[in-house]
Amino acid sequence: MSRRLRRRVSKKGKEKVVAHSYTEFEEEVSTSEQNGDVNWTCLPDDTVIQLFSCLNYRDRASLASTCKTWRCLSASPCLWNSLDLRAHKCDSAMASSLASRCRNLQKLRFRGAESADAIIFLQARNLRELSGDYCRKITDATLSVIAARHELLECLQLGPDFCERITSDAVKQIAFCCPNLTKLRLSGIRDVQGDAISALGKHCPHLTDVGFLDCLKVDELALGNVASLRFLSVAGTSNVKWGVVSHVWHKLPNLVGLDVSRTDVGPAAVSRLLISSQSLKVLCALNCPVLEGDANFTVPKIKGKSLLAHFTDIFEGIASLFADITSKGKTVFLDWRNSKKTHKSMDEMMSWFEWILSHSLLRSAENNPQGLDDFWLKQGAPLLLILMQSSQEDVQERAATGLATFVVIDDEHASIDRGRAEAVMRDGGIRLLLDLAKSWREGLQSEAAKAIANLSVNVNVAKAVAEEGGIDILASLARSMNRLVAEEAAGGLWNLSVGEEHKGAIAEAGGVKALVDLIFKWSSGGDGVLERAAGALANLAADDKCSMAVALAGGVHALVMLARNCKFEGVQEQAARALANLAAHGDSNGNNAAVGQEVGALEALVQLTRSPHEGVRQEAAGALWNLSFDDRNREAIASAGGVEALVALAQTCSNASPGLQERAAGALWGLSVSEANSVAIGREGGVAPLIALARSDAEDVHETAAGALWNLAFNPGNALRIVEEGGVPALVHLCSSSVSKMARFMAALALAYMFDGRMDEYALVGTSSESTSKIVSLDGSRRMALKHIEAFILMFSDRQAFTTAAASSAPAALAEVTEGARIQEAGHLRCSGAEIGRFISMLKNPSVLKACAAFALLQFTIPGGRHALHHAKLMQNAGAARVLRATAAAATAPLEAKIFARIVLRNLEHHQAESSKGI
Amino acid sequence: MSSSSSSSSSPPCPKKMITLKSSDGETFEIEEIAALQSKTLENMIDENCASTPIPLPNVKGKILAKVVEFCTKHAEAGADAETLRAWDAEFVGVEHAIVFDYILAANFLEIPTLLDLACESVAEMIKGKTPDEIRKFFNINNAFSPEEEEDVRRQNQWAFE
Repeated sequence: MSRRLRRRVSKKGKEKVVAHSYTEFEEEVSTSEQNGDVNWTCLPDDTVIQLFSCLNYRDRASLASTCKTWRCLSASPCLWNSLDLRAHKCDSAMASSLASRCRNLQKLRFRGAESADAIIFLQARNLRELSGDYCRKITDATLSVIAARHELLECLQLGPDFCERITSDAVKQIAFCCPNLTKLRLSGIRDVQGDAISALGKHCPHLTDVGFLDCLKVDELALGNVASLRFLSVAGTSNVKWGVVSHVWHKLPNLVGLDVSRTDVGPAAVSRLLISSQSLKVLCALNCPVLEGDANFTVPKIKGKSLLAHFTDIFEGIASLFADITSKGKTVFLDWRNSKKTHKSMDEMMSWFEWILSHSLLRSAENNPQGLDDFWLKQGAPLLLILMQSSQEDVQERAATGLATFVVIDDEHASIDRGRAEAVMRDGGIRLLLDLAKSWREGLQSEAAKAIANLSVNVNVAKAVAEEGGIDILASLARSMNRLVAEEAAGGLWNLSVGEEHKGAIAEAGGVKALVDLIFKWSSGGDGVLERAAGALANLAADDKCSMAVALAGGVHALVMLARNCKFEGVQEQAARALANLAAHGDSNGNNAAVGQEVGALEALVQLTRSPHEGVRQEAAGALWNLSFDDRNREAIASAGGVEALVALAQTCSNASPGLQERAAGALWGLSVSEANSVAIGREGGVAPLIALARSDAEDVHETAAGALWNLAFNPGNALRIVEEGGVPALVHLCSSSVSKMARFMAALALAYMFDGRMDEYALVGTSSESTSKIVSLDGSRRMALKHIEAFILMFSDRQAFTTAAASSAPAALAEVTEGARIQEAGHLRCSGAEIGRFISMLKNPSVLKACAAFALLQFTIPGGRHALHHAKLMQNAGAARVLRATAAAATAPLEAKIFARIVLRNLEHHQAESSKGI
Repeated sequence: MSSSSSSSSSPPCPKKMITLKSSDGETFEIEEIAALQSKTLENMIDENCASTPIPLPNVKGKILAKVVEFCTKHAEAGADAETLRAWDAEFVGVEHAIVFDYILAANFLEIPTLLDLACESVAEMIKGKTPDEIRKFFNINNAFSPEEEEDVRRQNQWAFE
């Protein structure tokens, strides 16, 4: 293995290179041919190091753990120039374990106060650049120790979160300890006092770039004495005395760039600074309400000086600073990046622009002030795209976050601005974001994925993302070990999975498996990632084919686990929705049964119907509704307490959203298919709330409520309850005036059950002193019900078609009647033998119920209906043909009953012929 | 402007070609402009060593043919980034043993674009794999003693948290 060290390619002379590697490569060829396979550990060191540099830290660590050679190479100093600890837990023990590799560390990024405390254990004495976020809890003590241990520090940045506990004392310590400091940017300090600033001026002679952002107070006078300053930002800082500023800062001899964005700076100070400073080239004042509000303000036109504001042309302003480049407008940044000539002061200035602009734009995006539409379309979006191509990683990240943020115009409803999203797409933003998402840097991955996710709410952008290969990229990011990356990628897949056309592509890219794995990986403590993964799976499960993929990947178990164990409402809601969608495919796949068989699934869903969160209740009820399609699930839901829970839900949802009302009634409808459950629902008090829901104006709600009442009314006890609770007028109203034919139909059938005589027997059996009065009031209800059932039947009976059909036995005439009477959705209804039997006996009823029963049987047996064959068989078993023939032939029967009965007979013949053909 | 190559009426200036010779004796012609992507070849051209076939004793003919193809494609004027991206993806979507040879050749010939592409593609294969999976993938025998194993684990633990 010692061979390896010899292989480092010398770059001194070419002959030597050739000769040197000649012997080696020959050696290699022979070994590789001997083994019949290549020996990857023989790769030259340089290339292995390059391979490492393409990987994130986790993958590097994995690769380093494979063999001694690669372990050794993984510690190469060039792989430890810079370190980003933000995604990693960093405590003193962990930092100590890295110390031997951090000897030459130049650049470090960290996150949070705990990591800050651990930094000194890295013993990175050569550290030049330190940058941290989430620094709210960092103390003076920590910062002072960091400064003392890193004397070579040149650049220190803490923000954008406010460093609330840092005071001027720590700033003074920094000044004393770090004489090489050139750049100091701190956010959210309460009071930056004069003595601290003076200390900086005195002890840090190279300090050229200072930012005190979002501070409450800064000593303007002292800042005016830091002569070395070239760039200064006080963006977002309040209580600035602009009078002092305009009389002092213009004397700073080297000041080139000044950023006063997000402050209350006014026209007077701006003009004075621009006019009187000798050195100043750029004054950046984005989002300054006082300045923007002054209609009389005119920008002083001074050659070589620019004001950057929402109302000026930022690109032109920057381009005008380049004397030698003929850049026009938007190309200025690209020209600068591509230019071969290096011009140190211009480079510094452009880097500073990128930094302050990315900050200000992100802040504007976050606060989303009114009236910036034009700015975003013309300048903001192009700027963000250009900043995404910066060589500064933190600028790239902020620009991507800015893109993710500025398109969202309504957080609550997750709605995005179409114009802004399409502006990003038009300028090639999707490609840029996808490229960033492919980088090994996880900070970039997560921000880019977030932007892609948010932009993909727009269908055109989603289409572009899919076309540019974004689905593969997101699916691969969803496998990331970094929770933030995985979370944003899952969010992207969630939004993309809304589009029918993307579902298959997501499954093909392995997205389903990745999403299911995410649930197992972060099953505890990753609310955000779990919600997004479950949400994406919910959308995917709505597709028949993808729902199979979800089940195959272990999705049923994963989602049930979430429904059972997760305490976070967003996750519960999406998990329940996903289970509902998985179970929505009825007989076309086995997922419905599979969900029910998962241990604890039904119990968990029943439990979730009691959630304090409306969305959770709604999706849980929806899931139970779909699951109750399966006979075994239905009874299992009932034994898990589903009846009580759903009745309770129906009782409390009078003010809830139509979505919840629909599903609560729907679930009761599903359960009430068996008479035992029906009885239980009646006993638990389910009738009254269902009647209330049947009064709803929302079509979906009253339709499902009518379905549930229909099933309930089969039982005479329930029928009586419906009458007593005032259900007759509600059903009569539905039957005569709902916009939904299905609702009218089911309301009519409910009334038919109620008044076909069985309830009367029941009412008589329960003899009490009130029974007589009950029967009296029943008579009135019956008359009203029958009258409306008759009207309902007539609505579906075309007079002329009837006359023709009565006169001829031609199939065409009957077909025309069928067409006029047919209710499409009724084909989905499935009746039990008992129900069919009840309609058959209703055929003998002297009243209008005879026609009603024939009408119902007609709907249930129309060829092509999902359950028509099932119904036909039940009818054959019950000997319906004889009764139907009697009805058709009866002299006294109404015309409708006769014709409908003839059609049913024909339907039966059709099914009989079909099934004998099948055999 | 007599007979300079910039005149459209004069016959096109013949492309300057150089010849490369692989380890197994095959020779390949490549335009000089394409060959310049290799720093090794660039040095040779600069030092006028390119008038005779350049022997490349450690690049097999099979690989050299592909390398010439790669350099020629990347020297083509006017190829848009999107097309080139797709072309590259196909170029590198080959057996792992060939990618391995690409890396060796790109490293020896110092062709940064090819080296980047090949390393990226290997990185793509490694991403998300556990050490054991990587060992299996590269056919590496674990030569760590149990103590070393523990040491390695401790050293790399930080990246997994």
